[in-house]
This record gives sequence, C-alpha cells and structure tokens, in this order.
Amino acid sequence: MLKYVIRRLVMLIGIIFVISVGSFYLIHLLPGDPAAVILGTGDSPSNRLKLYKLLGLNKSIFDQYFIWISNIVRGNLGISFISQTSVASTIRAALPIDLEIMGLSQILAFALAIPLAMRSARKPDGLIDRLLGATSFTLLSIPPFIIIVLLVLFVSIKLGVPNIGVASYVSFGTNWIVNLESLALPAFTLAIGSFVVYYRVLRSDMIATLQEEFITMARSKGISQRRIMWRHAFRPSSVALLGAAGVNIGGLLAGGFVVQYLLAIPGLGYTLIAAINDSDYLLVQGIVLVVSVGVVLINFFFDFTINIVDPRISRE
Amino acid sequence: MSEFIRETELSQEALLEASMVERPEKNEPLGPLFWICVGWLALNIIGAIFANVLPVQSPLNQDYNFVNSAPSLHHIFGTDDLGRDIFARVVYGSRVSIAVGVGAMVIGFGIGAPLGMLAAYRRGRFDTFVTTVMYVLLAFPAIIAVIAVLSFWTPRSMFKIILVIGFASVPLVYRVIRTATLAIATKDYVIAAKVQGATDRRILMKELLPNIAPIGISFLLIGIATVVTLEGALAFLGLSVNPPTPSWGNMINESRTVLAENPWLVLFPSLALCLFLLCLNFIGDRMRSHYDVTEVKL
Amino acid sequence: MSTNPDKLLVVNNLATTFNTSAGPLPAVGGVSFDLNKNETLGIVGESGSGKTVLARTVMGLQPRTNVTVTGSVLLNGHEMVGVSEDEKRKYWGTEVAMVFQDPMTSLNPVMRIGKQIDETLRVRLGMSKNDAKAKAIELLELVGIPSPSQRYSAFPGQLSGGMRQRVVIATALACSPKLLMADEPTTGLDVTIQAQILNLLEDLKEQFQMSVVLITHDLGVVATRTSRIIVMYAGRIVEMGTTREVFTNHRMPYTRALLESSPKVSNPSHTRLITIPGRPPNLLKLNQGCSFAPRCAYATDRCHQQRPELQIAEEPGHSFACWNPLPSKREAATR
Repeated sequence: MLKYVIRRLVMLIGIIFVISVGSFYLIHLLPGDPAAVILGTGDSPSNRLKLYKLLGLNKSIFDQYFIWISNIVRGNLGISFISQTSVASTIRAALPIDLEIMGLSQILAFALAIPLAMRSARKPDGLIDRLLGATSFTLLSIPPFIIIVLLVLFVSIKLGVPNIGVASYVSFGTNWIVNLESLALPAFTLAIGSFVVYYRVLRSDMIATLQEEFITMARSKGISQRRIMWRHAFRPSSVALLGAAGVNIGGLLAGGFVVQYLLAIPGLGYTLIAAINDSDYLLVQGIVLVVSVGVVLINFFFDFTINIVDPRISRE
Repeated sequence: MSEFIRETELSQEALLEASMVERPEKNEPLGPLFWICVGWLALNIIGAIFANVLPVQSPLNQDYNFVNSAPSLHHIFGTDDLGRDIFARVVYGSRVSIAVGVGAMVIGFGIGAPLGMLAAYRRGRFDTFVTTVMYVLLAFPAIIAVIAVLSFWTPRSMFKIILVIGFASVPLVYRVIRTATLAIATKDYVIAAKVQGATDRRILMKELLPNIAPIGISFLLIGIATVVTLEGALAFLGLSVNPPTPSWGNMINESRTVLAENPWLVLFPSLALCLFLLCLNFIGDRMRSHYDVTEVKL
Repeated sequence: MSTNPDKLLVVNNLATTFNTSAGPLPAVGGVSFDLNKNETLGIVGESGSGKTVLARTVMGLQPRTNVTVTGSVLLNGHEMVGVSEDEKRKYWGTEVAMVFQDPMTSLNPVMRIGKQIDETLRVRLGMSKNDAKAKAIELLELVGIPSPSQRYSAFPGQLSGGMRQRVVIATALACSPKLLMADEPTTGLDVTIQAQILNLLEDLKEQFQMSVVLITHDLGVVATRTSRIIVMYAGRIVEMGTTREVFTNHRMPYTRALLESSPKVSNPSHTRLITIPGRPPNLLKLNQGCSFAPRCAYATDRCHQQRPELQIAEEPGHSFACWNPLPSKREAATR
C-alpha cells in the first residue's frame, strides 16, 4: 500500500510538472509581441517594466520558466494589467463558488444514481430498469447548455421562482439560503450529466457483481436482500463508479463554465470567460493552471479512494 | 494424448454447467431503431455536405418582410431577429458541428489508433514509453487544455478548433484502442498465427483490425457526440467559429435571450443537436452491446 | 413418508428447468431421495450432470429469474419449493448451509473475513458485536486457521485457497445448521490440501451432529466418507445405494464406467485409464430414451426409445435405472 501511494505521488508530481510547462507555454502561443497583447489597454512603460520583470520576457525560455514557476510557488500569479488586480486574489475569491457548485451537483448525482442503479440491477430488463434506461439515455443526449437554458425559461421566467434566475447569486456568507437557491439550477444541471454516467456505470457493475458466487454465498447465509445489496454488492461494484467520478469531474468543466456564464455566477468559469473576452491573458493562464491542478488532485483523491474501497487493486 | 482431449472436453462441459446457472444470451439484435438512427445521421451528413446544392435558402440572407416569424410555408422553421431563415441556419449550422466532430475524431483516431494497436501488439519498451506519456497526458484535463489553447491561439478558425480537439483526444483514443487490442492480441488464434509465421502486417490487418473495429467504431461515434457537445459549449464560451457563420451551439447561444419571445430560435437548433447526439449515442451503445463481450448480458 | 422423524431431508420428484433463449433446459429432471439425521450422502457425477444445480435447488438457492422448479423438498419438515425467498431465508444458515466449490470466488473480496462470519451471527442470531466477534474467532480456530484473532481482519486475498475454504466452512457452520451441503468442496484446492479439508468436514460433522451432502465428481472422495451414494447423469439419478453396494455391486453401466475411469493406487504403473467414450449429452436436446444410451456399450433399441425408471435392486435401498443392467454379484455367482 505504501509503495503504491509513493508511486502514485511521484506520478502526480510528474503530471503537475507537465501541467505547469503547458500553462507556461500558453503565453507563447499569442501572435506577435506577447507583451503588447498581454498588456492590452494597460500598455504603459511602467507596466511593461513590471511585466518584463514578472515574466523575464527578455531572457531565455528556460529562465522564463524558472522565473514563472518560482513566482507561482510563492503564490504570485501576477497582476492583471487589464483590471489592475492580483490574479491570485481574483482566483481565491471565485474558487469557493466552483467548489460549492461542484460539491452540490456531485452529492445530488450520487444521491440519485446509487439507489436507482441498485433498483435497476435488482431486476434487469424489468419495467423500472427499462424506464430508467430510456430516461438516462435521453438525458445523455441533452447538453448541459440546453438544459440550463430550458430550466431558466421554465423555472425562473415562466414559473417566476425567485432567487433562482440569472444574476441572483449571493455569497454563502451573506445569506446561505438565498445562496443555495441561486446555485440550485446550476447544481441540478450539472448533476443530470453526472447522474447519467454514474447510473449507467453502477447499474452494469451491480448486475455483474450480483452474478458473483459470493453473492449466492451471502444469500445462503440467510441475510436480507437489502443487506446483500448494500453490504456485499455495492462496495465491489463501486470501483468503476469512483473511476468514472474522477474522470467525470474533468468532463463537467466545460458545461460548468457555460452554466456559470449564463447565470452570471462569479465563479472561475464566469471569470475565465470574462477574461477571455477581455484578452486578460495572465488571468486566463492562472485559472487554467489552478483548474488543471485541481482536477488532477480530485482524480488523485478518487484513485486513492478506490484503493480503500477495493484492497485488491493496490496489491496487484 | 487421448486423455488430454478428454480432459479438455470435460472442462468444456464444466463451462456448460457453469453457463447453465447464468446463461449468457446471444448477441442482441441491432433492431429497427438502430437503422432509423443510421438513416437520420446519413440525412444530416448529406444535408451538411450538399447544403449549397440543395434547395435551401442562404443562412445569411436577411428577409425584412419576415422578422422573428413563426414557422410558415415560406420559412418552415421560422426566422430570427434579422429575418434569416432558421431552417437554412440549422442545415448550415450542422456543417460546423459535424465537421468539428468528425474532423477532430479523424485526427484523434488517425494518431491514437495505430499507436495503440502497435503498442499493444509489440509490447516491450515501445509500449511502456508511449503508454507512460499517454497516461500523463490523460491526467491533464483535456477540456481545460482545449479551452486554454483556443483562448490564446488567436485568431480562431474551424481548422484550429478541429486540430486542438483532435490532438486533445489522442490519449483517450490511444487508451481505448490499446486495451481492446491487448485483449485480442493475447487470444490463442493470434498467437497461433504468429507461430505459423504470419507477418506482423498481416496479423495487424487481418487478425487484429477486424476484431477491434466494432469497439473502435462504437467509441468513435460516442467520441463524435462528445466533441459536438463540446463545440456547442465552446460556442457559448465564445471560443468556436465567429458569427455570423451559424453553428448549432452559437445559434442557441445567440437566441437564448429572446427565448421567451421567439422560442423557435432555440427550439430547432436544440432539437437538431439533441437528435443528432441521441442517434450517435444510440448507435454507439447498440454496437457495443452487439459486439462487445465484456459487457454483462442477461 | 414425510413424517418420519429420522428423515432430515425428503426430496420428491424435484425438477429444475432453466428457461433459456434456446428453449427449456432441464438441469434436474425429476429426482427423489431422502437423507437421515447425521448421515453423509454422496452425490457423484461428471461435470454437467446437474449435481450443483440439484444441491442449490434443494436449498432453494437457484437463481431468482428464468428458472422453474417443481416437486417438493421437505427440509426438517419445511417445504422449500414454491415458497418465497423471505420464507426460505428463515432456514438458510440455521437449518441448511452450503460450502461452495471455489473459495476464490465464494468469499466477498472486499470484506474482511471476520466480518463475513460474524455478519451471519449478528443478523441471524442477534448476537452483539463483541459476542459475534468472539464466536467468529472461535469458529476460525475450530476450522484450523492459525492465529485466528489476527486473521479475523484479513481480506480473502491475503489467504491461500485452503485457508479460504476453511473460512467458507466456518461461515457455513456459524449458526450450527442441521444440514451441510458441500458442493465439490475440494475441487478448487491443491491435492495435498483436499484430504485435510475433507477430514475437517468429517470431524465437524460429528461435532455439530449434522447431516452432510457431499457432492463431487471424484469417487475417491466419497468412498470412505459417505454411507450412501447417488450417481447422477444428465440431471437424473441413475443409481443409488449404500456406498458399499454402489462400489462393489453396481448395476448401471455408467457407474462402472465412472469407477473405471478414476485412477487407483493399486493399479500397476502405466495402466491406461479407461475413458467413457462420447461426451455428456446436451440437455437442450435430450433423447426420449436413456440419456446414457449413446455412450453405452450395452445399449439396445429399447434404451434409445424408452427411458428406464429407477428399479429396486436386490439389496435394500439400492436402486438403478437401466434396461440391461450388469449382473449382480449373486447372479454372477450362480452363473
């Protein structure tokens, strides 16, 4: 187990290194003079000096990377020359919103997917299973940006539910009830996509597990159906589920960004799109870096959980 | 020798006994719905390719006699706020979505599939090296990479979008194809072909490719669906093709503000997009359960 | 007959049919037998002869869907056929328990072995957590697992096959069942371990005052450990009698073929094993006559046309299903 953890940690460091190189190199994709593009409307001799100092633009590319990474390690992601604010503090303000939406959507998705997948697996091809199968399949084919557009139309505009529509976001600290209300639609929209994935993965694994000999053995001990499902079948079936969850978090991002943007919720997604539209490249770079590392860490966490759930994996 | 044969026969019987308890059904038939979906996709693709030959109005033509009109004989899907024909825009919009989806997957499969097959077939150092690189890349969240590169690599064009998404999909394609090949390359008939002295080329083309193809195609279709969805999201983020060129994604994005007043504007591109995705997903899913042995059948 | 208090198990005309897409598959086709208290009964037959399905159906443990069971199983007076799973569950573990064939697959790989044992104790006997744990460790010790209190928290993957089978046995014995169904309990194990497990089962049978049904394809396993033997072929009983009768005075050619095809230490070295020609029948396409006829050296037209029913042999309790039986010892002597 320890050996496994160390190996995974080494790999994690390698991946984060690759991410840092990738994010660093983004600046060099800019056409023409990067300094001029980055500074944009904030182009002045004093800002130019600051930027050169920050990025080491007149030095070799290796030195530039070194300067950049050592700044980042110290928590300095630079200053946006468009809005004159520190990139790090902008990200710090927005990040909790993303985490909250992500957390809520995942709780919702799991809370729906697990019991329904178990229900389906108990009688595969039964009426309930077919119904859920068709529903999940249809939902699979509706992109989140269409779901959110429709939800806003019906729930907020047609039904007139307050605190739920565009630009109704209030921070958790200000009023947590309104905060939760304002995040209900985005969380729900993202939950649908995750639910479909989790439901399908867990259903198929549960069906496979329920055919295992150890389930027959558990039955032969005379313990209840409910207990067999939860105590014996769920855990060995949840490996693929956790794997899917890890991958899914990364896949949710694009949809999550769109949802934030449409509802004007000032999370990282909203900030990122605004930054792209303003050509605020340092801010885009900072967000890309933070989100990438975040996704990798979440994946790592799920990988780790899988090993606790199924002790067979780290032994191999 | 005869004992040996008896032994193997008996073990086959043992398999039969095991299968009596949980007997796997034969492959599911593809069913009529499958062919309806194939037909719909074909219709979409023909429409996209021949849009300017077919009797479809210009997607940019502004007809001020009909602004924000509901569906009528003249404009069967209605018109938008500039009097442009929505049907024409949906047909032309499919060009972007389909081109991005297919183009990106052509790149992804063009690079990922041969690499994956070769790595799984050759094994050894080549496999270890490529697989390690791909797994590191796989850990990199592909969508963020696409968004990041597209936001810096200006000016944006459809070609660049295809290129970026295509390259971002390579590690994923590589993993799927490598795993599938690995499962088949270790089967007895492949080993038998090797022992009989068949060339690598022959084994790869005649033994491996036909067996991987169904899994590959099913993954390809689901991949196209994912890319088409991603293109839609990129359009919302302002990272896809620039207006006035229509794409399903940017049509929905542009008209969502007038949704309550002119629902047709959102309805038709959304419907086109969802149906397209549904067909791709359905065909992919059906093919997987039709050919794949790994999925449990009851 | 079902009221006889000595009979722990009375099986009457039990049939198990799987409804497959290729048609009905009669895995067990009308089987009747009984079992006394504290008796060990052997069921032998080739793979595919339906012994595993029979054992599971007797327990009521067949799959929940796509299967039809008819006939009757009286387990200590309780009918197990045609009753709900909730009803059968009352007897599972406490009246009847099963030792499964392959200890590699019959233990939950992600559950500590101790938990798998004391789960039964807590759920079925309502023991407290601590009592159950103490009892589970005691059971592990009883089945011969060294340092049981440490093994209590091991995962199955950390134990050898023989050890795992001991755990399976401990789990089966947790609630002191009256009947233990042992379905090829040693097939998945190393030869050196097999005898240990069989001896353990024999000891435990005495200790727990149980009846045991020992299912195997290996006649050597049942020769010394059972009082009676049932020989199965294609889902039916073809011969049944005391172990001694079946071994020394069998009448059914299949039984003889089965005996001859198992190696004996007393044979001189390099003796060729006699094999049974042909292969077990496809249960989906059973002929109307004797299922063994296509492989039988003595088969006549009648064998192919008409199915022989079990008939009583000379010795009490011995019966066989054959139109052209081998001569009995007495017949051979008078000839």
